[in-house]
Amino acid sequence: MREKLVVALALAAAVLLAFNLYNIFVMLPDEASQGYIYRIIFFHVPAAWVGMLGFFVAMTLSVLYLAGGDLKYDSLAASIVEVAVVFSTVNLVTGSIWARVIWGIWWTWDYRLTSQLVCVLIFSGYLMLRRAIDEPTQRARLSAALTVFGCVNVVIVWKSIEWFRNNHPGPVLSFRTGGKSGMDPAMLHALLWNFLALMIVAAALTLIRTRQESTAREIDSLRRAAHV
Amino acid sequence: MDARNFTFMFYGFLAAWLIILAYVVSLARRSARLSKELEDVKQLVGSGQKT
Amino acid sequence: MNLLRQSVAVARKDLAIEIRTKESLNAAGSFAIVILLIFSFAFESFSDEMGEFGGGLLWLVFVFAGALVFNRGFARELPNECLDTLLASPLSAAALVIGKAFANFAMLLAVELVSLLVFGIFYGVDWLSVAGWLGLVFALATWGVSILGAVFGALTVNLRLRELMLPVIIYPLMIPVLIAAIELTNTVLNHRPVSGQMEWIRVLVVSDIVFTVLAWVLADTILVN
Repeated sequence: MREKLVVALALAAAVLLAFNLYNIFVMLPDEASQGYIYRIIFFHVPAAWVGMLGFFVAMTLSVLYLAGGDLKYDSLAASIVEVAVVFSTVNLVTGSIWARVIWGIWWTWDYRLTSQLVCVLIFSGYLMLRRAIDEPTQRARLSAALTVFGCVNVVIVWKSIEWFRNNHPGPVLSFRTGGKSGMDPAMLHALLWNFLALMIVAAALTLIRTRQESTAREIDSLRRAAHV
Repeated sequence: MDARNFTFMFYGFLAAWLIILAYVVSLARRSARLSKELEDVKQLVGSGQKT
Repeated sequence: MNLLRQSVAVARKDLAIEIRTKESLNAAGSFAIVILLIFSFAFESFSDEMGEFGGGLLWLVFVFAGALVFNRGFARELPNECLDTLLASPLSAAALVIGKAFANFAMLLAVELVSLLVFGIFYGVDWLSVAGWLGLVFALATWGVSILGAVFGALTVNLRLRELMLPVIIYPLMIPVLIAAIELTNTVLNHRPVSGQMEWIRVLVVSDIVFTVLAWVLADTILVN
């Protein structure tokens, strides 16, 4: 059943992405000041949203695990974190390439990019931590604790650098300063549609990863049974 | 200027796709490895041996 | 308050051991001085630019030396099953973690004082005249990193690659505290008024409170017997 769901999600994502790509490249006009390059925003921003959403969902699942002790929450949280790290990396890399064209530099200490980098670093540490612990309950417990600290931390980093970077002039992603309301509606729609497409891709990847976690647990329990 | 923008935009999209593709490939390899390991362990347990 | 009394007891135990053996203090202190020496080759000392780099340099030294201190914190309880004994005792896990944080705090402050002395000499920076503000900034920021060091020292204590995992995990988490500390240290060392940077003080206070509360809440989860 789960395999069918994954295939269905993959197909839906493929169709949606094809439609979106057509929209992005053919239908939408060039942006006033940036020309062609701005189209990268349609992957850059949704990837960030998928990443951030993933980390906060993972935190919720971690808290649920700590409250209930059901290891399924832990498996799901770990899978979501892994996928979220991938999408956050996509965000960072596309942001870097975009910055190179617009501002001539590969990186800027904009509060969004910096918070995203901190997020990726913290949750890469999370993935490394999980690999270092063999015992499932201990792994789940400690991972959950780190997720809570990590997410709270990201909020603090976001808020403090946001203040800092608003006080000091610095490059800011152009039409996001005015909030989404500053954006042309057609572009906003394309952005949201691509967000949906990436969410579906993320969901499919998460399902696959969670299935792998169950398999790993099954192998583990078979080994333990054999030892007894 | 516009041609260079186009190249960089292409690089940008390529980077995004490559990262996701790399992850999908790693997932696929991990799935294969886990399936094989599961089969091996089931066989070992089934034959009554201790691992 | 029971938690406070227990934490102070744990801190006193650790500091008594440390004063007798001086293992962490010697290692961290020497490490800090060596880094300051090596950085003196990278940066031109006695120059005006030190005002802009000084804060960053100092805090880099403190967190690298701090990692040595934090690693020892719970690792010293491993031989002779001291950690299991502590957890089996009436001591609450939160008191253990916060007590270790108090000890980390004291030790790191000692390392910071020594580093400041060496920094003043090697780089020709006058910090004595702003010692009051510097003390406040150091106290707030050092508590932030100490509590993180204690929590994640506890989390990583039983792991295979403890010495590697601890820095990898806590350095990204320290970033808000570090940024605030570096900005404020630079402000103070340049004799600029701190009143213009009160937001960073707020970041430090908020981080300290949030991390301490999280440590208190999650200590039982991390240190299950």
